[in-house]
Amino acid sequence: MLQRPFGKNESVQISALGFGGHHLGDAEDQKTASALVNAAIDGGITFFDNCWEYHRGKSEDWMGAALKGKRDRVFLMTKVCTHGRDKDLAMKMLEQSLVRLQTDHLDLWQIHGVCFDNDPKLFIRKGGAAEALEQAKKQGKVRFAGFTGHKDPAIHLKMLRTGFPFDAVQMPLNPFDATFHSFQQGVLPEAGRRGMAVLGMKPFSGAGDAVKKGVVTPEEALRYAMSIPGVTVTITGMEKPEILQQNLKIAQDFRPMSASEMQTLATRVSGPAADGRFELFKVSLKYDNPEARMAHDFPLDEKQKEVQEMMRSTENTGHPFPQLDQNQ
Amino acid sequence: MTRRKFLEKAVVGQSVLASAGMALSQNNGDAIPRRPLGKTGLEVSILGLGGYHLGSAETEGTAKRIVDQAIDAGINFFDNCWDYHQGKSEEWMGSALKGKRDRVVLMTKVCTHGRGKDVAMRMLEESLRRLQTDHLDVWQIHEVIYYDDPDLIFAAGGAIEALAEAKKQGKVRFVGFTGHKDPEIHLKMLSHNYPFDAVQMPLNCFDASFRSFEQHVVPEANRRGIAVLGMKSLGGSGEMVRHGGITAAEGLRYAMSLPVAVTISGMESPEVLSQNLAIARGFKPLSANEMKALRARCENDASDGRYELFKTSKKYDGDEGRKTHGYPTAEELPA
Repeated sequence: MLQRPFGKNESVQISALGFGGHHLGDAEDQKTASALVNAAIDGGITFFDNCWEYHRGKSEDWMGAALKGKRDRVFLMTKVCTHGRDKDLAMKMLEQSLVRLQTDHLDLWQIHGVCFDNDPKLFIRKGGAAEALEQAKKQGKVRFAGFTGHKDPAIHLKMLRTGFPFDAVQMPLNPFDATFHSFQQGVLPEAGRRGMAVLGMKPFSGAGDAVKKGVVTPEEALRYAMSIPGVTVTITGMEKPEILQQNLKIAQDFRPMSASEMQTLATRVSGPAADGRFELFKVSLKYDNPEARMAHDFPLDEKQKEVQEMMRSTENTGHPFPQLDQNQ
Repeated sequence: MTRRKFLEKAVVGQSVLASAGMALSQNNGDAIPRRPLGKTGLEVSILGLGGYHLGSAETEGTAKRIVDQAIDAGINFFDNCWDYHQGKSEEWMGSALKGKRDRVVLMTKVCTHGRGKDVAMRMLEESLRRLQTDHLDVWQIHEVIYYDDPDLIFAAGGAIEALAEAKKQGKVRFVGFTGHKDPEIHLKMLSHNYPFDAVQMPLNCFDASFRSFEQHVVPEANRRGIAVLGMKSLGGSGEMVRHGGITAAEGLRYAMSLPVAVTISGMESPEVLSQNLAIARGFKPLSANEMKALRARCENDASDGRYELFKTSKKYDGDEGRKTHGYPTAEELPA
């Protein structure tokens, strides 16, 4: 499988297809999850994504167990869920992630879910999560630092303007994004100028609605995302062996789309893209994450349809989870 | 220097309006101040009467009373739209303005939603008939809120050609466009360098720090001499007053203190009209520091967009436009 340099850190190479941690927790059982991780490594995937709060820790637990004895063959990333809260909380989450992932260091540690307009300010404030990234690097627990979010290119640009020396940045990149609230147009060139690794996500625009409705084929969408000039890796969720095999095949046979093929596809889907219904993570409260809203003191109005769906899909009861201190 | 820093620097010790060369015209005590409507040579009251809410008035009699009282108090900017209440808003405004047409600056909007010039010209005739007039002072393209709208409007045979033709026929004096969704779409419209006379957008103390038209579109419109028509000063349906922790006076005064020509507000009852008139009479703009303090107070609550649902949800997107674009209605969407 194609390997690409990790931004300006050219000695580090990662696979062009990355294995998403959230969907790993959706696998049928832990045995299936282990088999998926092993088949992914055998298929040439080296980039593994995760997050402290995916499935209340199950995603990290399962990935950690599956990677036992293979830790040094992969580039391991996880994310920290401070959602505007402080450095101390971030450092506690880091310790917990390391325990679950059964490792003494992460290759990449990112700020998760930078989705609200005041997140950049809360991140860079004195005592904020930026200080945790610095300290974790200094302690050798983390090699590289980055951030991620799915909401708005303007918020990503605000994060870049904080001046923090990020090594990586993650964002939605797919044919719909090309013309709607576009990260590809608005953020990717700036990240490239700064020599950052660019991690694409949501190549099938999230829940795969556009594929199910026949607006794009999986091959078109994934090839588009992987062909964007400047992208380092495309992370996608693969909770079933057949999905993994489908994506591995596309990635192993990968030939980049030409600029004109990409343009044609982006133009073809620009109509359905233009109201954002295939990128609900940019426009709907449903993808806001109840944890993040609670951390920001934003209300959760359970009468709203979007909030009901958000709570259901995250199995959230309206109370913070998991109880960090119980696990310490 | 960032644009925001520049603005902060530029307005120290004077109001934003003065720095943008938009001083209020002579203020006779309790009158509602007027401002130039961009480069059109017209002068408009800083408070405008919104057409949508006029159609929500209890009866046509109430609507007429609202229009009469507004004119008597010095409001001369009247907003409307072809599709408000299936034409009722235009009809009620048309009969209420009978005999007073020449005392107001009358604006309505055309709802092509991506369709072409011919549809637009038919809608224009219908609007003129309903409004009982032979010309509009301002005619605007309504609801430019989808990312492909600018391309559709400027395509050959698109709605933009109707604006030129209507002007040539003398049925329309000035033209513009409006939308409530995203500054980026407005900027895409402006990037065509079409000689728009007016542009309408949401402007309020929450917008200042969330997907901000104030930061991104107002300076560009000012630079081009295009009149800025502000709307949604209280969130579209008063959300900011009911839940957002500001008073109607704070919200409206903030919006009217920006470098805009007029702030359009929906006033569906004589009570709401009186409330807003009291705020607009003898209006003095907030100082730069007062504006900054209000922005800072609202910033955290603005950050998730819940008080500007027209930017973040489909609740304010008309079914007519969704249908025309081939989108499912807001009701049919998965959330």
